Amino acid sequence: MTALALLLTLAAFGCFGFATDEHHHRLTGRRPGSAAKRRWRAAAWFGLTLAFVAAIAGRGWIVGPILWAALVMLGAGAVFLLLNLFLRRGCVNQRSA
Amino acid sequence: MKGGFRQSQAFLHTWSGLLLGWVLFLVFVTGTVAFWREGLNRYMRPELARVERPMAVLAGAQRFLGEKAPAAKSWSISLADARSPGAQVFWAPQPKKGEARGRRRGRRDTQALIDADGQVAHARDTRGGDFFYRFHFDLHYMPVIWARWLVGVASLMMLVAILSGIVTHKKIFRDFFTLRRHKGQRSWLDGHNATAVLALPFHLMITYTGLVTLMALLMPWAVVANYSDPAKLSDTLFPSAPAVERTGRPAPLVDLTTLVADAERRWGAPAGYLEVSEPGDAAARVTVSRSPASMLSSRTPRFAYDGVTGRPVWASAPPGGAAETAGAMIGIHAGRYADPLLRWLYFLAGVAGTLMVASGLVLWTVKRREKLPDPARPHFGFRLVERLNVTVIAGFPLGVACLFWANRLLPVEMKGRAQWEIHVLFLAWGAAAVLALVRRPTLVWPALLGATGMLLGLLPAYNLFAFPAGGLASLGVGDPLPAGVDATMLAFAAGYVAVALRVVRHRPPVRARTRRGSAPLRDVPAEMAA
Repeated sequence: MTALALLLTLAAFGCFGFATDEHHHRLTGRRPGSAAKRRWRAAAWFGLTLAFVAAIAGRGWIVGPILWAALVMLGAGAVFLLLNLFLRRGCVNQRSA
Repeated sequence: MKGGFRQSQAFLHTWSGLLLGWVLFLVFVTGTVAFWREGLNRYMRPELARVERPMAVLAGAQRFLGEKAPAAKSWSISLADARSPGAQVFWAPQPKKGEARGRRRGRRDTQALIDADGQVAHARDTRGGDFFYRFHFDLHYMPVIWARWLVGVASLMMLVAILSGIVTHKKIFRDFFTLRRHKGQRSWLDGHNATAVLALPFHLMITYTGLVTLMALLMPWAVVANYSDPAKLSDTLFPSAPAVERTGRPAPLVDLTTLVADAERRWGAPAGYLEVSEPGDAAARVTVSRSPASMLSSRTPRFAYDGVTGRPVWASAPPGGAAETAGAMIGIHAGRYADPLLRWLYFLAGVAGTLMVASGLVLWTVKRREKLPDPARPHFGFRLVERLNVTVIAGFPLGVACLFWANRLLPVEMKGRAQWEIHVLFLAWGAAAVLALVRRPTLVWPALLGATGMLLGLLPAYNLFAFPAGGLASLGVGDPLPAGVDATMLAFAAGYVAVALRVVRHRPPVRARTRRGSAPLRDVPAEMAA
């Protein structure tokens, strides 16, 4: 359940990141429309909600919410690093190749 | 009005962050390390084997205390588990005539460590991870009460800085995923914002609950208004079984392991701590506390037993709403309940907080450097902040690395060894301060960061040769702790060396004027984050 919650927060922040003009454009070459952005954000919030459910199911009402908050931070941090450091570098290499 | 408000918040953020930022950095570093307090207690005593049978250790502790201090006023035993180096035991001798209370516990001649075999441990004398835990709120070389006021005020400033920072950096949520690299001041700002906002729930939680741990000191009025007798407050917060009087009739003490087993069965959770009043007397009383690793609240329930018959005589009442709330907040701050995954997340969030404070301090100089009338000769305040930044942000971690080395290298038979480990930290830090004073920051930053990286990186190599039974070998028998600490040291070593190299390689933009001080550090957050 903990692993599922982590995957969900990672996916959720992936969606949040994909809903930003900058990263969407860099990854797909297109600018997201406002409806598309809304859809990605809705998916992200849905993922965070599911992650909360998974965390509670896994760890109960005392540690569950704490674990969820910690996994939200981990998911956000991991996606932040991925988008800004790793995917970016790969992208630049492709262009120069 | 709106702009005025934001500007006032920016002013507040800048100065509340700067003035006590250096203290905050120390508090963040040691607090983050202290999440591994028990683990470091063991890591820094590498001769000790892992505790496999905690009850055998407890039986050994009872045997030892029965021989060493049979007629003591009280014994206390912190129960061993796989993370701890063993059972720490204290005893308080009977008070002498005229003394209101027995000697304060915690003196070095009335304590011992019982190892995994139930014998007195023959290990190097060290404060271990406890040093970081105490330093986090008591600092060092100064009266504890001053230190707590200083840390308390710094935490208040931290809370002010976080809240005003949310207002000041208004775009942190919209620019959530933005990191502009190689852009000088903008990169620093993005890095500062990223470490702040990504772990914002942690920063708010840890600062607020940190203040809660000090609340009776910082804001005593609620206590003063409601409790005229401090003993009554202590009884309300930390209920204990009624005190016993020594009868003078000797009676053998019950087997403590049976009492612990009984308490654990009633809780369905492990016990953590045990206290014996008047051991060896007919009136003996044993109090068992539940392990704080097994529950969120730091107000752990307790059972008291008759020390001769083993009959349960008292159970702590469930705490009231306010006490339970405070207990949960202190519990969530200290993270004693956290399993390995959650502990790692605490640690990573603590690292993010440390980077946030450090990048905020450096940002103060980065922002002002551009506006200096004569960059070759900055004014006194600028130079002071710049050099204090080098001293604290690069110097203190160097001191910590030296502490770990002193723990390995100081002679085992040395007098006052545990204290000397800590003196080494401050000697190294003092040397770093002198260096920062007499040499340019462009030199001292990479020198100190690089030295820290080298020291941290070589330590695991030294361990490999000096303690072949630890590290990799212990990994083979399912004990990841020593190898885990070594691997973490290596990761930090790589980080420090990478940042140092980055600073060395950095060339200020061509239009730059001479002697740009710490400008080369501009891109560090991005690098540290990597």
